Amino acid sequence: MSGKISTDLIRGNTVTIILNVLRQGDSYGYEIYKRIIDLSDQQYELKEATLYTAFRRLEKDGLITSYWGDETQGGRRKYYRITENGIEKYEENRKEWEVAKDILNQLITGGDPDGRE
Amino acid sequence: MDVNKEVKKYVDDLFKDVGASQQLHDLKQELRTNMEERIKDYQAKGMTEEEAFKEAKVSMGDLSGLVDDMREHGKDEAKQHVYTSMTNRVSIGGIVIGSMLILFGVLMSIGMMFMEIEPVAVPGTGIFAVAGAIVLTYSLLTRETTKLYSMNKVRAGLYSLAVGAMLFALFTGMMAGLATGEMFIAISSFTVIFIGGFGLWIGLILTSKSTRKKDQIT
Repeated sequence: MSGKISTDLIRGNTVTIILNVLRQGDSYGYEIYKRIIDLSDQQYELKEATLYTAFRRLEKDGLITSYWGDETQGGRRKYYRITENGIEKYEENRKEWEVAKDILNQLITGGDPDGRE
Repeated sequence: MDVNKEVKKYVDDLFKDVGASQQLHDLKQELRTNMEERIKDYQAKGMTEEEAFKEAKVSMGDLSGLVDDMREHGKDEAKQHVYTSMTNRVSIGGIVIGSMLILFGVLMSIGMMFMEIEPVAVPGTGIFAVAGAIVLTYSLLTRETTKLYSMNKVRAGLYSLAVGAMLFALFTGMMAGLATGEMFIAISSFTVIFIGGFGLWIGLILTSKSTRKKDQIT
């Protein structure tokens, strides 16, 4: 499943990807993990370890908060919620991405004398 | 096999050389819950419990960053330990002083019984025992043991006050009774103060919202 898109390419965007999931509703580790796989049409798997590390950093930066669920069965789930700052950060990153993806596309595929692009 | 037990063991092993902290405790709980759910999902897809557990471990990824992060928190906890043992030394001092005051008060009163003085003066030194009991109560409650966290300082202070009031009531009752020679005066002056202390004590017991028992972080 992983390996279809290189980790190097995606690394800088891990935070934005998580914020994108959370801005659509509170969620917990494994659910976020599954959601990311679904969003990528099973093309990309963000390892759980990467997720937990990112959660901790995001929480420290005030972009997300966490709370324990009140499940009666099984273990308690730790839920994450995006903050106002988190939403701002997401919008900012998204704009950056819109600009960057076009430039990157030109840089990587443009100027081809064969006229492929 | 009990897969939840296996998960717990696996997660504990990941962090086995990391000092305890609230953060670590929470992270372990989070990892366990998510891993258990993932195993259930894999089983629903037809894997055996063993296969599911193995697969869940593989997809966990590299946790070394988190382990390092937790090690930092564990160090903070170690610093906290020094602080608590400082408070403990203070509280041990309190226990010693409190006990000495009680002994002094009681023994002096006993001694005075054999002195050629007014009987009313006999329980006089008992006031030292009352003071000693207050100090002792406070010190015992604020002491942290391996099983119990130390009690909140305000709460411990109120408990000491309650104990002090009840003992002071006894003291006043005896003094008043001996001074006037009237039993009813003894009982009534005892009652007024005692009820105050008793009420405070009952109130404290009924509001004991948080248990001091330590969560066994394993």
